[in-house]
Amino acid sequence: MLCIETKDLRKKYASTIAVDGVDLQIESGQVFGFLGPNGAGKSTVIKLLTTLIPPSNGKISILGIDSAKHPLEIRKKIGVVLQQPSYEPTLSAEKSLEKYGMMWNIDKNTRKKRTEELLSAFGLEEIRKKKMDDLSIGQRRRVQVAREFMHDMELLFLDEPTVGLDPAARRKLLDFLREQVKNSGLTIFYTTHVLSEAEYLCDNIAIISNGKIMAVDSPSELKNRFGHEKTIKIHISKVSEQLKSRLSEIPECQIKLEPEPTVIINSTKSEIILMNILKILNETETKINDLSAIPTNLEEIFLKVVGDSN
Amino acid sequence: MIRINPIIRLVNRNLTISINPGFIIWQILFPLIYIFVAGFAYTSLIDSVPFGGKDLDYPAFLASGMIGFNIMNSTLISGIIIWNDRRHGMFEQIMSGPFTRTHYILSNIVTIGIIGLFSAALITAVGYPVFFQSVEFSIVTIPLIIFGSVVGAILFGSIASIISTKLRSSEGFNVIINTVFLFCAFASTAFYPVQGAPQPLATIFYLNPLSYLVDIIRAGIFGQVTDFVITEMLLLVALAAILFVIATKLLTKLDF
Repeated sequence: MLCIETKDLRKKYASTIAVDGVDLQIESGQVFGFLGPNGAGKSTVIKLLTTLIPPSNGKISILGIDSAKHPLEIRKKIGVVLQQPSYEPTLSAEKSLEKYGMMWNIDKNTRKKRTEELLSAFGLEEIRKKKMDDLSIGQRRRVQVAREFMHDMELLFLDEPTVGLDPAARRKLLDFLREQVKNSGLTIFYTTHVLSEAEYLCDNIAIISNGKIMAVDSPSELKNRFGHEKTIKIHISKVSEQLKSRLSEIPECQIKLEPEPTVIINSTKSEIILMNILKILNETETKINDLSAIPTNLEEIFLKVVGDSN
Repeated sequence: MIRINPIIRLVNRNLTISINPGFIIWQILFPLIYIFVAGFAYTSLIDSVPFGGKDLDYPAFLASGMIGFNIMNSTLISGIIIWNDRRHGMFEQIMSGPFTRTHYILSNIVTIGIIGLFSAALITAVGYPVFFQSVEFSIVTIPLIIFGSVVGAILFGSIASIISTKLRSSEGFNVIINTVFLFCAFASTAFYPVQGAPQPLATIFYLNPLSYLVDIIRAGIFGQVTDFVITEMLLLVALAAILFVIATKLLTKLDF
């Protein structure tokens, strides 16, 4: 079943086009990563999908509900953690969870039970009585994300939820989210700038740039599609003039002298080029200190896709 | 599961975040000082104050004025809630939840109505020993006090809401709201009678909606419902309606 479907989605502010013809089809029960550089339109798409702002053009269907006709019905079934912090400064962390549950019409006993579970799952027990105003940015962020699990939902929007979190808290949150998707069939629409996070968590990823979707696929498929180039680094003992001259004949390799003499191959045919270079190194009696091949990661794909779009 | 109306849920939340021991102490202590310190201290200067067909002693006059003053002060909360919600991201968060803007606006109105009534009841209880000799409650006058309290709360709550939608900085919000409310407090009939005031000041008094609110509440307490008070009631309703519409429009247009 399609959880999110958009057709030719556009949003224009005065002379700025924030979202430019976005088409999405997202299946239920997965974590869908939504990546893009700053100002690419990620948060605007989230605001459109969560019915906070109306589109200038196009159609949005969330959980099979038309967002133009029944925005409130959609909001009753989704959870939203926006990019900006949101909290009640006068309430304690515990009371924040409890009151948020009340706002979602969760009965008192369930609220109490869930509050305890979430305080534990998010490592908030020690600060449960502390006022939100007195918490650090990371602690507040944890409460903000935890709070959203006080109510039942079918779809959760998380806009950069790990901002301000330390690595341990970040990993705890990612594992918690994975668990939720696995156990309850929840769908998560997830934006982040930390690409290793997206690689760890997401089943599928869309990359947006300048308001347009540049690529949508699973992380492994994206690597297959865009990760043809491989990088091989050969650390050598010295660079002679003869070696420089011989290597200059090979277009897809470069020599770097700092911090140590290195020959870098960056090509779709790295293996073939490597054979040629090894031969040259042997002929010029250049000693190899170390050789490494760097696997293609999501960051490189992201930079390539975004770079191409610009 | 019992389905609680979204407005009631938001009112519950509004009251939880707004009412704290500090607020209640301030709501009681501040008027107490006015009524019992200023009220009795000024008695040597102001012997009695004519109101309707009665002569009131100054503490009784001031205590009844403090009810309107306290209602106005307590409705500041409406502006503070909206301003805080915008500053701390809760407005956007609420709007992305199971609520509409209408729910949000109506919950603010109900909140200030409750706080206005609570405030009026509190000062009536506190000030009762001072004005009990002149009190003439009746079946007509008690609803009049409740009517004045609710309409006055909506009026001043709307003013506070309008200011909160227009200002983002805390300094700006505090300066403007304090200036407006201070002017309303002292250029009104809450603290002193209009009789004997210079004509320009007397005119300003009656351009100020707090004077209407205070006069209506006094009329309710002392049983002096005159034609002038009825005119003030109509003016209060009209002004509250206009300001409420403006506040609602501004809240509806608030963007994210």
